This record gives sequence, C-alpha cells and structure tokens, in this order.
Amino acid sequence: MSCLRAFFARPQTLAGFCIFSAIAIIALAAPLLFPRGPFVIIGMPLLPPGAPGLAAGSDVLGRDMAAQLAYGARISLLVGIVSTIFSIGIGGALGAVAGYYGGVVDDLLMRVTEFFQIIPSFVLVMVLVAFLQPSLASTVIGIALITWPQVARVVRGEFLALRQREFVAAARMQGLGDGRIIFGEILPNALAPIIVVATMMVGSAILTESALSFLGLGDPNLTSWGSMIGGSRSSMWVAWWTMVLPGLCIMVTVLALNFIGDGLNDALNPRRGR
Amino acid sequence: MLAIRNLTLTLPPGADRALAVEGVDLEVGANEIVCIVGESGSGKSLTAHAVIGLLPRGVAASAGKILFDGEDLLKLPPAQMRRRRGREIAMIFQDPMAALNPVMPVGRQIAEQILAHEPVPAAQARRRAVELLEQMGLVDAANLARAYPHQLSGGQRQRVMIAMALSLGPRLLIADEPTTALDVTTQAQILRLIRLLQAQRRMSVLFITHDIGLVADLADRVVVMCQGKVVEQGAARVLLEAPSHPYTRELIAAIPRGEAAPLPPPDGAPLPPPDGAPLMQASGLSKRYRRAGFFSRRGETALDNVELVLNRGETLGIVGESGSGKSTLARCIVRLLDPDQGQIIFDGQNLRGLRGGALRAARRRIQMVFQDPYSSLNPRHRIGHILTAGACAHGEDAQEARRRAAEMIQLVGLPPEAMLRFPHEFSGGQRQRIALARALMLKPDLLIADEPLSALDLTVQAQMLKLLDDVRRRMNLAMLFITHDMRVAAQICHRVMVMRRGQVVETGPTRALFEAPREDYTKALLAAIPGRGAQKP
Repeated sequence: MSCLRAFFARPQTLAGFCIFSAIAIIALAAPLLFPRGPFVIIGMPLLPPGAPGLAAGSDVLGRDMAAQLAYGARISLLVGIVSTIFSIGIGGALGAVAGYYGGVVDDLLMRVTEFFQIIPSFVLVMVLVAFLQPSLASTVIGIALITWPQVARVVRGEFLALRQREFVAAARMQGLGDGRIIFGEILPNALAPIIVVATMMVGSAILTESALSFLGLGDPNLTSWGSMIGGSRSSMWVAWWTMVLPGLCIMVTVLALNFIGDGLNDALNPRRGR
Repeated sequence: MLAIRNLTLTLPPGADRALAVEGVDLEVGANEIVCIVGESGSGKSLTAHAVIGLLPRGVAASAGKILFDGEDLLKLPPAQMRRRRGREIAMIFQDPMAALNPVMPVGRQIAEQILAHEPVPAAQARRRAVELLEQMGLVDAANLARAYPHQLSGGQRQRVMIAMALSLGPRLLIADEPTTALDVTTQAQILRLIRLLQAQRRMSVLFITHDIGLVADLADRVVVMCQGKVVEQGAARVLLEAPSHPYTRELIAAIPRGEAAPLPPPDGAPLPPPDGAPLMQASGLSKRYRRAGFFSRRGETALDNVELVLNRGETLGIVGESGSGKSTLARCIVRLLDPDQGQIIFDGQNLRGLRGGALRAARRRIQMVFQDPYSSLNPRHRIGHILTAGACAHGEDAQEARRRAAEMIQLVGLPPEAMLRFPHEFSGGQRQRIALARALMLKPDLLIADEPLSALDLTVQAQMLKLLDDVRRRMNLAMLFITHDMRVAAQICHRVMVMRRGQVVETGPTRALFEAPREDYTKALLAAIPGRGAQKP
C-alpha cells in the first residue's frame, strides 16, 4: 500500500498513468468508436480538425484521422508491449544465467550480448524486417532482437549482486536446485529494476515501430502512427494536422511511459530517497 | 560544557513508535568521557546526531534544549551550526569506509577539512595532516597520507577518521560506535588511543556504544538509555558495581565474561566415540583466492593447511579476527566454496569432489546459520515458505513439512502464526531464530553457525546463545561455532580453535586455552577482551 502511495505521490507519475490509461482505453475501444475501420473514405480530403463529424480532420485520401489515430494506437501499443515481453524474456533469462553462474558462462553470454550491442541497432532491425517481409510479427521480432541486450545487462548486474547475499547461500545449503534458486529466490528480488526497464522499453519500442512504419517497413495492411506520418509527407505543408497529430500521439505516449517508469523506479526502490 | 535538557525527538509517522527520544537529560563536563549505552533502537545514536545537527530526514527535535557553552544548538541557524561542526564539536562514525571519500587520498581529505575552516596555505594544511596522522600512532604517516581509504586496514581508517575529527582541535568529540566494526585487538588499540588523546588535549568525549563491556575501561560517567529514555546515569564505577535500575542490571548480566565459565558448563568435551571415528575430520585444507588483474595475477591465501576434528555432540569454536579465514573454512566445509587442497571426511564420506545429488544429500546433514539475519532470509518469501522449501526440495510432503515447520518455529521460541509473515516484520534476533529453525528443518547432524550473534544486541545475544546450546543438546548436534568474540566462545564451546591468517594457531579445551594459552597471539586476543584490558590511567 505504501508502495502505491509512493508511486502516485509525484504529479508527473499520476499524469503519466492517467494519460497512458486513456490511450489504452481508446485503443481497446477503437472498433466500437469507429466501427467502419480506419481505411474507409468518409468525405473530402484534407478537411481540418473540427469539420462536421471529423474531430481530427481527414487525410489526403479523405479518411477519418480520428479513426486512424485510434487504430494506430492499437498497433503502437501492441508492438510496444509484445516486443518488450519478448525482449524481457530473452534478456532476462540470459542475464540471469550469466549473472548467476558467472565465469565462462558469463563471459560467453556477455560476448554474444556485446555482439548485438555493437551493431547499429536501427540498421539491423531495418534489414531484418525487409528480409522477413514487413509485417506485424517481423516488426515485433526485430525490435525484441535489438532491445534484449539492454535487459540482459540490467538483469545480470542484479544477479551478480544478489547471488552474494546470504539467502542464496542458504537456499543452496537447503538443497534447492539452480532453477529454483534463479527463478524462485533471486528473480523476485530483481523484479523492481526489470519492471522499470520494461516500462521505458515500451516507449522506445513504440518509437522504433513508428520509425519503421515511416520508412514504409510497417505492415501495409495496418495503420500505425508512424505510417500516418509517412503517408502525409506530401501534404504536411497544406494540412499540418496530418503530420502533427500522430506525432503528438507518439510523443505523449512515450512521455507518459517515461513518467510511469520514473515513478516506478522511485516507488520500488527500497531506499526511497525523496 | 554540553548539557542536554529534556530533549524530545519525534520520528516520522509510520515508524514503530512516535518518539525516538523522550525527555533526555544529560551532561558532559569539560575533560570528561561520558558513555551512552543502549541497545539498537534505544535512541542513543539519534541523541548524538541531534547534538551535531545531523538528524536524518523526518526526525525532528520537538522539545528541549541542547546547550553547548550555554548556547542552544537547536536554535542556531544552519550556517552558524556548520561553523561549530568540526571546530568545536567533531564526530567519528562506526564505518570509516563509508565516511571517507573513496577516490581521494586520506591526507588530502584531512587537509581539505582544515582548509574549509582556516585560511592557511595548502602546503601547511598538508603538513598538519601528516602531523595529525603521526599523533594517531600511525607509522610512516607521510606515505600513508597518500594512500586511498581502500588501501588501509579498518583500524588505520578509524585512526584517519579520528585524525580528521581532531584536525581543528574540537573541544567535544562525539564517537558513535567507533569500534563496532573492528577486531578486538584493534578495538583495544583504538580505545586506548581515544583515552590518550582525551587526556592530552583535555577535551570532552561523548562515546556511544551498545557494549557495556567497553564502558568500564573508558568512561568517567555512564548514561544508560532504553526505548528512547534515560533509565539511569551516574559515575561509571558506581553504576557498574551497584546498578539501581533493573534494565542496567540486565545489560550487565548479559556481558559475556571473558572467562571460561560457560552456561551450565559444557560438561567437558564429550569423549570421542569408542570406535574412534569423529563426525567430521578435515585435513590439509587450503584455499587461495585469486585476483585476476589485467596485467597481473595476485593471490591471497585464505586457508593454509587447516586440520580440524569434530565429534558428535561437541561444540568447536573457531575464533579469529577478520581475514583469519574462519568464514572461508566454514564455506569450504559445506562446499559453498571449493578448497584447493585437502580432505573433508564427514561420517566416512569425502565431501570434496561430490557433485549434484550426492552433494545435496550430504549438505542436508550439514546446515548453516549465517551471520547477517537481514540478508539470510529472502525478503520476498513468507516464513512458512522459507522453512519448508528445503524439506520439500528433499522430497518431503508439503503438508508434513508445514506441520514440522510449525513445531520448529515454536521450538525456537516464536508463535506458529509467524509462518504467515514476511522477514521484515521481525527483529534481528527473531530472524536469527527463524534462520536456526530453517537449518533444523532438515534434521542435520552438524550445525555451522557463522558469527550468528554479531548482528545482535547483547541481551539478545545471551538468549540466542542459550537457545543454540539447548538445541544442540536436545538434538545431539555437533556444532561449529565461528566467532570473533572470545567472550562468546568461552560460554558455549567445548573446544576452541584460534585462527590467524588462514592458519590454526592453537586448539584446545576451552578452559585450558583460556587459563593457560600457549601462543602469544592467543594471549593477545585474551588481553584485548574489553573489561579485562588495562584500566583507565
């Protein structure tokens, strides 16, 4: 309970949480709010926001911007969350094993991790997505592949520190197996930083997805904030809203996630400073 | 010179009590050493921190006065308080490593303190720093001033801290448990140094300690605190000889005497069983720690050819200062560390070289209680889970394990409801009981206790010691009791083994070893026991 209170103590965190919840609700409710889908042409092109029935105006092809933003939120959040889950899974497991066993295992796994870290990550994800054919799945896989080393590093660091604690020695004395010790004893104590990193990573995954879609490497059958910006390059000088609105959505979402991450960091940190 | 009148400190809401310190009155006269004695949570440290104006966030003085030369320190503006800190009142802390800047040579840190208060040339400040280090009894002070804190030993670091505290010639020195983290022999030296400096400089000392055993050697007057209140104060000799308050009597009774007068005396070492096979026998154990540097490989010998015999039902004490290898020995025996050489024969089986299932089966019979009760229980698990996890891993039925855990928790003196709670809801002493219950759950033959008391208050130590001895008798355990404190070893061990720098110095029956030590090092350890050492000059 005190943890929850500490979490909401800072106004930024509360704001971030409210904004993110609102976006998530809109994303979930998109088919109810806009039953005709994002691709239906509903009127004249390039109508400004506030035109009758069009809260956010229309785009170059006369499609409802509001519907596109709502459906775009589905894709952005989906990609952000799913790729983060994969990334935490891979990075967490490798980091835990490296940190717990140390020695040769650690050396080996960390060299692999570094191999991924020294490749310019965005180039890697572009090549990968182009190679696998642009689709939702390839975007998720690509993003997970470039972000797991960061998780592995954090988890390894936590494990290196925690495995020295006496309760780990006690667990070994009690005859628990390595798997039980890693996942049952140490991991619960390492959750706080992992959750914080995960929150931040959802934000950066949304950015990466937008960049891929902007370059036309997103799933062509789905609309996302990035592809909306990409599609409106030609109209940005005559209809600012076609570019600014999806851009604002990305910014606000990522900002909200970062606020939440900061708040979690403070709330879950046992030495709660300020 | 210092007079604390009716001081009351409030704790932040949500703490275990509302007032940290309630209506404390005490005085420190000129040229006087006053000891505040109390257990953890008694408010002794907060009182001292209030004097120097360094209360932690959330703690505030709500009433009372702290008069220093008639001036109320609580009312001084921060800037003026800062000027008095260091110059008039200085403080030394328990952990000099945390109080020193790790990336600056110690000489410069002392010089910096001088420069912050006095307009002298830097070279002169540096010279004074070296002089101070010399006065602290440090040899080769000029070179030492260039060393970084991590290159010094614990005793040297504490001397550096004292030098820094005295650099501006304060009239009052506050020492907050300055010897708690040190070995006994080093502790004795530091206490002697503080006494000497006090006499030379004619300053006043407010010395805070949990160990009433130190007081006799040091204090002119004693203030006993309990639960935020002063329960008794008076001249040291009078108070120690005729304590009037029951709490003081309890504290004094809990001082482990440095004499071989154990709890109902451990009826002599049980004789080795007729078939002559000890429960455990270690021979030729050696272990080197390797530090792999980029350019060099340096090693450090932690264990050097250690021999050890332990019979059923016997308690063997392993005594030594930090770095003597006693903990390494324990960890090698249970194979948390791998020894480089030697044999460990446990009940006819060589533990060295065991792996996987066989090692797990052998470890069930050797259990361990660790030093730090705050880190040895997983904070994320309930006590019930902590107690039963091991038994379940060895194939015991979960229901049965819970039933036995409930029995075990009562055996160590806690209610069965404790099983539903988390470790942080318990005090240090209670946690150590839980750790003991966890070890006993696996029905071991050998219990290794690695400094099980060092994190506990004296009265709690006495209870824990009694519990350990009870349990050993009841379950006919062999016990390996590791401690740095000769006083504790005297109370519970049948035999004592003294270690130094990875080697066995001397082994013998407790009484014989205490009454007629053969080796000089053992004699030095015995002489350093507080209350036995030199009397105040």
